[in-house]
Amino acid sequence: MRPRRRQLVRWVIALVMCTALVACNRGGAGGSAPRIALVLKTLNSPFFNDMQRGAQAAATRLGVELVVQAAEREIDVERQMQIVENLIQSGVNAICLTPSGSKEVVPAVVKANRANIPVIIVDTRLDRAAADEAGAKIGSFTGSDNYEGGRLAAQFVVNQSKGQANVGVLEGIPGHETGDSRLRGFREGIAATPGVRVVASQPGNWERDQGFNVFQNMLQAHPEIDTVFACNDVMALGAVEAIRAAGRTGAIRVVGFDAIDDARKAMADGSMAASVAQFPEEMGRIAVENAVHAVRGEAVPPEVKVRIELVTKDNLTAR
Amino acid sequence: MSGWVRWFRGAGRRFGTVAGLMVLCAILWTLTPHFLTVGNALNVMEQTSINAIVAVGMTYVIISGGIDLSVGSLLAFSGIVLAEGLKAGWGTPLAIAAALFVGAVTGVANGAGIAFGRLPPFIMTLGMMSVARGAALLVTDGRPVSGFSPGFRSLATGQALGVPSPIIFTLAMYAGAHLVLSRTRFGRYVYGIGGNEEATRLSGVAVRFHKTMVYGVSGLASAVAALLLTARLNTAQPIAGINYELDAIAATVIGGTSLSGGEGSLGGTLVGALTMGVLRNGLNLLGVSSFLQQLVIGVVIIGAVLTDALFKEKRP
Repeated sequence: MRPRRRQLVRWVIALVMCTALVACNRGGAGGSAPRIALVLKTLNSPFFNDMQRGAQAAATRLGVELVVQAAEREIDVERQMQIVENLIQSGVNAICLTPSGSKEVVPAVVKANRANIPVIIVDTRLDRAAADEAGAKIGSFTGSDNYEGGRLAAQFVVNQSKGQANVGVLEGIPGHETGDSRLRGFREGIAATPGVRVVASQPGNWERDQGFNVFQNMLQAHPEIDTVFACNDVMALGAVEAIRAAGRTGAIRVVGFDAIDDARKAMADGSMAASVAQFPEEMGRIAVENAVHAVRGEAVPPEVKVRIELVTKDNLTAR
Repeated sequence: MSGWVRWFRGAGRRFGTVAGLMVLCAILWTLTPHFLTVGNALNVMEQTSINAIVAVGMTYVIISGGIDLSVGSLLAFSGIVLAEGLKAGWGTPLAIAAALFVGAVTGVANGAGIAFGRLPPFIMTLGMMSVARGAALLVTDGRPVSGFSPGFRSLATGQALGVPSPIIFTLAMYAGAHLVLSRTRFGRYVYGIGGNEEATRLSGVAVRFHKTMVYGVSGLASAVAALLLTARLNTAQPIAGINYELDAIAATVIGGTSLSGGEGSLGGTLVGALTMGVLRNGLNLLGVSSFLQQLVIGVVIIGAVLTDALFKEKRP
């Protein structure tokens, strides 16, 4: 029996040591400033980096703690839902959320509702039908008028091409409200001009390399394309590269969306024609401000539309 | 070797993965008061369920000496079949049956290509990964399908005695799959094929048939995970499950299953999946940047397998 007893003693000693180690380290909870979470679609995009910067500045100014989280991949809705669940568990006071999927995150919003944590939706709207059906309530929505942005881009194409253009469209991830709205705005904006027609329209899933590949293929199938409308700049920049690879730089008008820094540079050197500017820093700022209002029980506007503007070479300013 | 060292090795070999998980939990418990609560424990297990269920099939496949890269795409495809069925008014039971059937059949197709077509598992399932993804995108035109009945959604949102149903699903799945793997002839053949395929064949086992079935199990597990994911998000996405094969492989190897086959257990895989779930959850609770999270998860995967190798005594 002796060896066995010695082994038992070893187990007990090991267990006691582990417990002691853990117990000694057990610290108290942190400060009392409200904690606001900002859940982004991704951190690999200048657009969301700008939003984070604006949110952080507002949080610092208002004296609240900001926690920023994002899934590894923008399309990973399940992971975004997990992040929201975990934030609920960690006892944040409010959640600002940029939905990776307008319908898919509705259950996560319902969970936050149940925990009495106000949710501020930023940039991409929730699907109204899905939200109503599940009884999801949001504190406020902050975002650009994407439909109007699409119309602005369409207007630019119509004016520049004098009413004659063959357009290739790079869509975002299908089913995303932002991309769908931009597309709808664009299509309705060109509808009155029969000479401007969309000859090809395919998703580039918001990504640069996909924008490149999809547009390269589009050019193969439709050499007559003289205009690109990409639902974000990242895909537009992919298209710019594809155009360069085809040796047709300058012959194809590229219109993007977001007016990120790289796109502004591309406009300066003429490889891009225009982009619809959004103001993500402002979105981040307003979202955090509204979150703080909601935490304090103050009234929050149900919807804040952040300004948009068309940026071209002519009104291009370094930021 | 002194007594302590030998004891440490023995304990590590038997309880290494569990001990690792416990150490991880202890560390997180010291770092945040929100970690060790009943609510969060249920939360972690619920979040782990989908990866854990996919990893059941992966464990079978890896023990048999293969690999299945198509699980994420099969999950998406079965989810779409399910969603389209529900939308078309087939009724919940029939739609579920159709999704499970599609998952299993696609898995069997994988297995047949590998066992009878003599394709390397890596190649066959890589091809199927693309085929199933393409089919899911084609059927839906790339759009998510959503809006299901509360009855169906209760698969993921319901509870029994305060325990969320995904956890119950997962435990039931593991109990069943563990019994099959440890108590049936089929289970023994799975180990045999992975350990020494030639010897298993020479002892009269229908190796090709059983190998095919192993991939069927994997496809079925993916389809079960699809049920839960679709009910949880109230949406089936054609782009669901991207990279899930890597999570499932990670859970399996953290759980001590050998990539060279013939060795491993479902209990280990469950602990492996929980380790990944706990890690992600804990890092979220701590507000750790998501870039650092990926780094930490990678280190833990390598560390877990390395420790496992060190604890295993060298064979002659």
